[in-house]
Amino acid sequence: MLVERIVEQRLGKQLTPFEFVLIFYLGGLTLTGMVGIEASMVNGVCQILTLALCHRTLSMLRFRSDRVMKVLDGVPLILMEARGWRTDTLRRMMVQDDDVMNVAREQGIRDLSGIRIAVLETFGQIAVIPKPQHPPRDA
Amino acid sequence: MTRESFLNPVEDSVPKVDDEIAVGEDLDFQRRWWRFEKLVWTVFLIVIVCDLAGLFGRGWLAKAEASTPDRALIVDYERIERANTPSTMTLRFGPAAIRNGHVQFHVSDAVVRDLGAQRIAPQPSTSTPGRGGISYVVPVTAAPAAVQIQLQPAAPGRYTFKIQLADAAPITRRVLVLP
Repeated sequence: MLVERIVEQRLGKQLTPFEFVLIFYLGGLTLTGMVGIEASMVNGVCQILTLALCHRTLSMLRFRSDRVMKVLDGVPLILMEARGWRTDTLRRMMVQDDDVMNVAREQGIRDLSGIRIAVLETFGQIAVIPKPQHPPRDA
Repeated sequence: MTRESFLNPVEDSVPKVDDEIAVGEDLDFQRRWWRFEKLVWTVFLIVIVCDLAGLFGRGWLAKAEASTPDRALIVDYERIERANTPSTMTLRFGPAAIRNGHVQFHVSDAVVRDLGAQRIAPQPSTSTPGRGGISYVVPVTAAPAAVQIQLQPAAPGRYTFKIQLADAAPITRRVLVLP
């Protein structure tokens, strides 16, 4: 999970084909180490239950602690605001201005001047809020 | 009027940008996370380099050689093994080890039990258990000759094995088996 959190800069809607393959590849490699040569049903059931318990525990810790939530999910990051681009954030998160513009176009915003704020959400989506004078066009 | 205990007033606790848009950005945390990421990537790099060098087995640093003073017996083995992973231990015999067309050697129980000897090639003419191990006799024409023992340790740990030619001092070495 730590590896995925570190390696995956962008998840969810922002998955590139390579990252998509990477997730399945990491899963396959993990499975090899966990299962090994033992293919018994007992082993399979116990591993499923262990994973379910781990998931439940992490969810509970995440619910109870803001710090744990930030570690597990990350925090939203502003990519663009009224004063301009947050270049350091863009560089570290490997997001290009074109990625932001792609999302803006989906909302009917014609150019960067129409963006009030762009945020990289914790699950990888880029949220774009238009300036009041540039309301999104009706679909 | 009954009060619903699960109903709390809506409080906007998410930090806002320009006192306008609630984003909840925590740059201090994120900067610490980026530093942590940098550290983790460094650790990843070190692990990969160590792995390529053989520090975790199956590489240059893992391979080892031990021999008797007269080099009648030379043992090529891996000082670092991995559990449930096949490897080969090679016993090379010099002229001094061959007597009457045979080589007789003794391997300790650790080779069979802890290091998981799967098979020995070529097949010995006799295998005799005893003295805390197994004594093998292998027909040999002339030096150099070699016998290979296929290993597959079942569990991690640190194990000491002994290999000894008949009427010679034993070679004693330790093997670390990683999980």
